[in-house]
Amino acid sequence: MKEMKLNFKAKDAKDPRLAVAVIILILAGIAPLFIPEAFIYLIGLTFLFIILAISWDVIVGYTGQVNLGHTVFVGIGAYTTALLQVPSRFEGSFLSFMAGIPTPPIAVSILLGGIIAAFVGFVIGVITLRLKGYYFALVTAVLPLVFIQFLYVWSDILGGEEGFSIGLERALAPDPVGRYYIALFLLVISAIILHVILRSSIGYKFRAVRDDEILAESVGIDIVKYKVLSFVISSFFAGLAGAAIIHYRITIGPDVFDIPLMLLIILAAVIGGLGTLYGPIIGGFLIFLAKNWWLKGIAAQVSQVLPLNDEAILYIILIVVAIFAPHGLWSYLKKFAERKKVKTA
Amino acid sequence: MMDVLIRVLIYGAVVSGIWALAASGFSLIFGIARILNFAHGTFFVLSAYIAIVLIKNLGVNLFVSYVIAVLLVGLLGIVIYKLMMSPIKEHEVMIIIVTLAFALLVEQILLIIFGEHGIAVPSFVRGVVEIAGVPVTMKRVMAFIAAIVVIILLEYFINRTRTGKMISAASQDFEAAMIVGLDVEKLFVITMFISAALAGFGGLLYAQVFAANPIFAVKSLIFAFAIVILGGLGSVRGSIIASFIVGYILTATITTLGARWGEFMVLITIIGILIVRPTGLFGVEE
Repeated sequence: MKEMKLNFKAKDAKDPRLAVAVIILILAGIAPLFIPEAFIYLIGLTFLFIILAISWDVIVGYTGQVNLGHTVFVGIGAYTTALLQVPSRFEGSFLSFMAGIPTPPIAVSILLGGIIAAFVGFVIGVITLRLKGYYFALVTAVLPLVFIQFLYVWSDILGGEEGFSIGLERALAPDPVGRYYIALFLLVISAIILHVILRSSIGYKFRAVRDDEILAESVGIDIVKYKVLSFVISSFFAGLAGAAIIHYRITIGPDVFDIPLMLLIILAAVIGGLGTLYGPIIGGFLIFLAKNWWLKGIAAQVSQVLPLNDEAILYIILIVVAIFAPHGLWSYLKKFAERKKVKTA
Repeated sequence: MMDVLIRVLIYGAVVSGIWALAASGFSLIFGIARILNFAHGTFFVLSAYIAIVLIKNLGVNLFVSYVIAVLLVGLLGIVIYKLMMSPIKEHEVMIIIVTLAFALLVEQILLIIFGEHGIAVPSFVRGVVEIAGVPVTMKRVMAFIAAIVVIILLEYFINRTRTGKMISAASQDFEAAMIVGLDVEKLFVITMFISAALAGFGGLLYAQVFAANPIFAVKSLIFAFAIVILGGLGSVRGSIIASFIVGYILTATITTLGARWGEFMVLITIIGILIVRPTGLFGVEE
């Protein structure tokens, strides 16, 4: 960590993006005043989802390692906090001694969710990231399919397919607006920390590894170390957000592990543009709201003609975007606009 | 005890033979084009459903249906290559994402049309034979024989025919193959057809012994990945041998511990190989 330098340069103040960020932040801050509570609940959940998208971007977009098992770390964070908060789940199982441990404060258990996810990420990273990128993609793709089996094997502890409720008294805040602000706070903190890391020399090394491993190694970068570091950081925020999501919606179930969530994260990051940080923020916002707000309605219309549902429509969108705009919709639109400008000039 | 062992031995051989077809196709296209095709399991499942529709809904002859299903899936492989892989060849990340999304899309469509319950493909043979005191259905025997025949044909094709030699030459050194004037793009298309058709044939054999199920579009990837990692990425012969190792580990786990532990054992196997011998049994050097 000693390599990380906090250098806010003078030009940062003039950056128009900073102004945009501040305006968005103010809008998000006053949103509960004029938006109905049901939507506020959904938007708050979207903020936590965005953390998943930006943390995925760290390992994939910035470091170039295809991680298809991000939801495993979301799930590890989620189940860690759920079991810490409801230790009675252990009663009568082979882990019954765990039922006696005292319940930590919610903030501590969310943090522990992130730390344990980061630890698992470290172990998997050390094994797979010293090999070619292909192996990392294959192993991480398998992880969610295996981890979801744990839920069924130990269903009396982990709740199996139905999951379980952690109880309203363990929510982030008693009312939706309070939870909304905590979610916003977590997103802002995560985004700032990731921004600082990615702007530091560590972030530049991530990008060097992504762009040319051989060149990066030849200038003295320990590529395995930085790949693992990137994976650990990414997993930590996935676990943290996963744990926070549980305290936000009070229920836990296999959906936090599942592949559809993984694809939603990928779609958010790909639409926004990989390796940009702000791209996945915008992409995550649009995609998560779209999925939970109006996509079901459209799917109901489409399904009368074609054998498609809302998930299938998202997969089609992802395929189309990835083929026609592999750098994200923003850069696609930017390029398109520039081409037009050149033509008219 | 003895009969459990024999059952594992026989059932394991059948499963392994089928996986060998699917995994060798996956290795083949990776070996030549360095493409990780996450839609490979789709071919496996789709051919079974095509055959089911042809046989049950359209009343097509069994043999003809099998042939059409394999050919159609092979053509689908070419279409996917042309539409989804070729345009984004320089974005390895995107190829993985697109093929995975495609696999999930097909899985969803199959779930909507056919439901979540497995459907068996009608078989040529029926009846049961007794091998060393263990009753084995003729379907399994036929599946094993068919798989072995196709594997031998594949080995012959790669090592003895001109096209096969060109494919393995391009796998060994892509640039050198281009320099000596091989039409690499054409080889990719041929390989993609063979790769998809192999998976499709494996899927047919699997679905007549067990049943076709939409979730296999993604789930079969676990086994395929374990096999190719053990065999060494890109090595067809390694994949075939590794299929038998993974097939036996799986069958033994399922027979002794229960089906739920199958995936878990496969993950342990993958991690174990990666720690001990990361390039697999026959890994190709990058």
